[in-house]
Amino acid sequence: MSRLERKNTLIAYSFLAPNFLGFAIFTLVPVVFSVFLSFVEWNGGAIQNMKWVGLENYADIFKIEKVIEKFAEGDFTYFFRRVDLGIALKNTMFYTLITVPLTLICAIALAMALNKAVRGAVAFRTIFFFPYVASMVAICVCWNFMLMKDGPVNQLIQMIGIPFNKSWTADSVMAMWAIILVSVWRNMGYYMVIYLAALQGVPRELYEAATVDGANKWQQFTNITIPQLQPTTFFASIMMIISCFKIFDVVAIMTEGGPGRSTKMLVYYIYDVAFMQNKYGLASAISMVLLAIVLIITIIQFSSEKKFAND
Amino acid sequence: MSQAVVSGKQIKQDNPMLQIIGKTLLYIVLIAVALFTLVPFVWMISSSLKLDREVFAYPMTWIPETFRWENYLLIWQKVPMLTYFKNTAFIAIVVTFLQTLTSSFAAYAFAKLNFKGRDVLFLAYIATIAVPWQAYMLPQFIMMRSMGLYDTLWAMVVLQAFSAFGVFLMRQFYQGVPTELCEAARIDGLSEYGIWARIMLPLSKAAIATLVIFTFVGTWNDYMGPMIYLTRDFNKTIQVGLRRFIQENSSDYHLIMAASLVSLLPVSVVFLCLQKYFIEGIATSGLKG
Amino acid sequence: MKKMLTLVLALMLALTVVGACAEKQVLTVVTWDATTTPYLIAQEAAFEAKYPDVDLQYIDVASQDYAIKVGTMLSGGDTSDVVMIKEARDIINWQAAGYAAPMSDYIAADSYDLAGYVGTEANYAVDGVQYALPFRSDFWVLFYNKDLFDAAGVAYPTNDMTWDAYAELAKTMTKDGVYGTHYHTWLSAVANWAVCDGVNTLADREYSDLAYFYNLYQDLEDAGACMAYNELKASGLHYSAAFANGNVAMMPMGYWYVSTLMGYIKDGTCSFNWGITAVPHAEGVAAGSSFGNLTGVMINEKSAQKDLAWKYISWLCGEEGAAATAATGTRPALVSENVAATMSAVEGFPTDEASKAALIPSYVGMEWPVVEKLSEIQTVINEEHSLIMTREIDVEEGIEEMNERVAELFE
Repeated sequence: MSRLERKNTLIAYSFLAPNFLGFAIFTLVPVVFSVFLSFVEWNGGAIQNMKWVGLENYADIFKIEKVIEKFAEGDFTYFFRRVDLGIALKNTMFYTLITVPLTLICAIALAMALNKAVRGAVAFRTIFFFPYVASMVAICVCWNFMLMKDGPVNQLIQMIGIPFNKSWTADSVMAMWAIILVSVWRNMGYYMVIYLAALQGVPRELYEAATVDGANKWQQFTNITIPQLQPTTFFASIMMIISCFKIFDVVAIMTEGGPGRSTKMLVYYIYDVAFMQNKYGLASAISMVLLAIVLIITIIQFSSEKKFAND
Repeated sequence: MSQAVVSGKQIKQDNPMLQIIGKTLLYIVLIAVALFTLVPFVWMISSSLKLDREVFAYPMTWIPETFRWENYLLIWQKVPMLTYFKNTAFIAIVVTFLQTLTSSFAAYAFAKLNFKGRDVLFLAYIATIAVPWQAYMLPQFIMMRSMGLYDTLWAMVVLQAFSAFGVFLMRQFYQGVPTELCEAARIDGLSEYGIWARIMLPLSKAAIATLVIFTFVGTWNDYMGPMIYLTRDFNKTIQVGLRRFIQENSSDYHLIMAASLVSLLPVSVVFLCLQKYFIEGIATSGLKG
Repeated sequence: MKKMLTLVLALMLALTVVGACAEKQVLTVVTWDATTTPYLIAQEAAFEAKYPDVDLQYIDVASQDYAIKVGTMLSGGDTSDVVMIKEARDIINWQAAGYAAPMSDYIAADSYDLAGYVGTEANYAVDGVQYALPFRSDFWVLFYNKDLFDAAGVAYPTNDMTWDAYAELAKTMTKDGVYGTHYHTWLSAVANWAVCDGVNTLADREYSDLAYFYNLYQDLEDAGACMAYNELKASGLHYSAAFANGNVAMMPMGYWYVSTLMGYIKDGTCSFNWGITAVPHAEGVAAGSSFGNLTGVMINEKSAQKDLAWKYISWLCGEEGAAATAATGTRPALVSENVAATMSAVEGFPTDEASKAALIPSYVGMEWPVVEKLSEIQTVINEEHSLIMTREIDVEEGIEEMNERVAELFE
């Protein structure tokens, strides 16, 4: 390493240090410890009572023997129908797959609309951000009422001719959509704020030049705005995917994972295993599955971001 | 084909009639979304003025029989709400300050400096966001307790002030700042610290406003953390205090609604104060042509 | 000189005050809803009156997060002296993790009499070693609104009533906006009755005995004799408010609701006459059979004053503690004629003979027995319960799923 490089690295570390020290002690160390936990059996008691079990926790959560046995019998979907982890994975992925694009589109649309000199923009922005600010208990109780059998949402749906007449949270299919609805409602304002901030960083000269070149609004949007927002979209989509994979409080308050296991999500499952069954090793193993999925998605996005930056 | 679209759009831009229709449509959509956003809050306000059993009366009623404004007094009398507010405000302000400062600093290194292990370190930051708190809460608690931080407000401060979230957010915003600016400044003899202070910070006001809002709201509304770490009543935060209205054998949802609405106010003020940074034209790149 | 004397006197006085304060031992007890639960307030007053040198301090934890918060505290090495046990699952988890100090030595040394707990204390013993004692034992009774029965001209429910007779009665009482009965959304309110026969438990891996009760419930729901589960679940209506509204004729609920209801009538939240009877019984099961759950206390293994903790526990779970508990309308675990008399003498308790007689059940099964994998079984049963109740699957399918999934847990 040359002297210059060494100097640069030192400068970089000095930038990192204040945050990294706190981060490493209070977050990184416990997280690394939880990786270790996924290989032991631990009920929360004295640390010396931990028992190393290797991959047993993983075999346990995947119900590996049973799944293989069923697989041999030609039952390929057993894992996603009967095993808690499979059901939780399936539910969480479905939820993420719907919620992320929906929130993203709403957020960009709102940000674009409010980035202009719209009358009452301040009021609109504040209103759209409101759901994110309100306390979760209160919100979920409200929404349960909105989505009741004869609640306002069902009345609206019936007005446009859909004959649905059941409380959303009492229906195996609609309970999931109730959670999606509340999530989008709550988060679109949040990501709108991120996009609003990002839009401030787009140099106006780019638009001016484009207008001179005769590009219309839509072309400006696809050729300037979208590419300029790329780092923000990277951030927003990763944060959204992670927070969707980690959804907990809406489930805990609105549906408790039910009816049956129809809204059982990964973190709700982790919560049950860790704090109700006191199996912290097992709970860590489930978390590692979650971590692996998110990491794969992040690395794919990360490398495409780099490719984009190098282009 | 594309030619037709282009000319169509240009007509739209020029024709004042179409422009008015476009504007009207925009307002209709905005108002519709705003209504969708606000309806649950209307119900919240209505519930906060009812008796508990009226809250759950079925079928639901939007307007209370009698408006019980005294609910808004009761919340201060039944639990030490003022203490909860003070604690929450303390945590939120200190965390927001530390978070904004340290992460905007660290993010500069990730976004604009080249050093060994940068990408790996950055992935480690993101990875910790991906691990659910429930998975490492216990080891973290044992560690914090041995440091003597259990049941102190500082526990919440150190847990939230150095989160990876802020670094990630700021890094992404800094990436949007053209690298040519930094290069030019380096040639002009500015140190890296100088670039951060004189170029990056002023250019990322909107980003900093975002981070401040998010951190403030996040800490203000956090429930699980304070629930685990704060035990004595004089240490509790609003979100933990709220749950005191839900007891084993009874619940006071009208008071929960009232208290939630009151706790909305400070956060809304923060948001209103900072949102001027989202108005177009505040930031220009400084790049010529 | 005089000045000196005053100074010395003042100093001595100060020292005695300081000494007195220092002598007062602080005993910390982890519990929930400490500021509003009448029996906790009464117990603290009675205990401190008897032992003026002890300062009893409650550590108040939110009731809904009790297991997670207290579990975490104990794992972190919390040194509180006594920890209250809210659910069967708590003692299983905490004993296994080594948080509970064995009590058997104390029990032997004091020759402490366990007979008064009529065998329920076995739920807190592991391999013959006692890890906790119960101080509160709630069993389920049937609450009814006397005013509604009077208005309808229908005779009150009795202590000796079958479930079929009860269902008929509920249908009779259903009219003009009055619901004949009310079922809270819990499994315990709907199907736990199967354990009243003293043979079945909810952990016996065979759940066909629940079918009768699910069918009975669905029949009542179809007849409109109770509020629909789906709406109750979505609105989150609390049973306490449901009965207090005054349009519900009967409600099976745990005995703890007596003290809540008396409180409501005292502060004017509601005003009607009410009574209790034993819960109905199935054919072939003795009248007065019920099920219930325990609330207990354990000594924290990390406590530095285990002797003092035992002093408190032996008082709380003994005759005097039981009296203090019973005086608030809460049923202590120590059952005796004495305690029953105290409970029915509480101001606000119904004065009719049937209500008094309902205080002494003929049999009390356990809502959940203390068994291996209890928490996993609970999760499975509750998940299938919600499917049956929302009618996503029918009763037989649900029972089959319960049998199958619980069996899978033990493969």
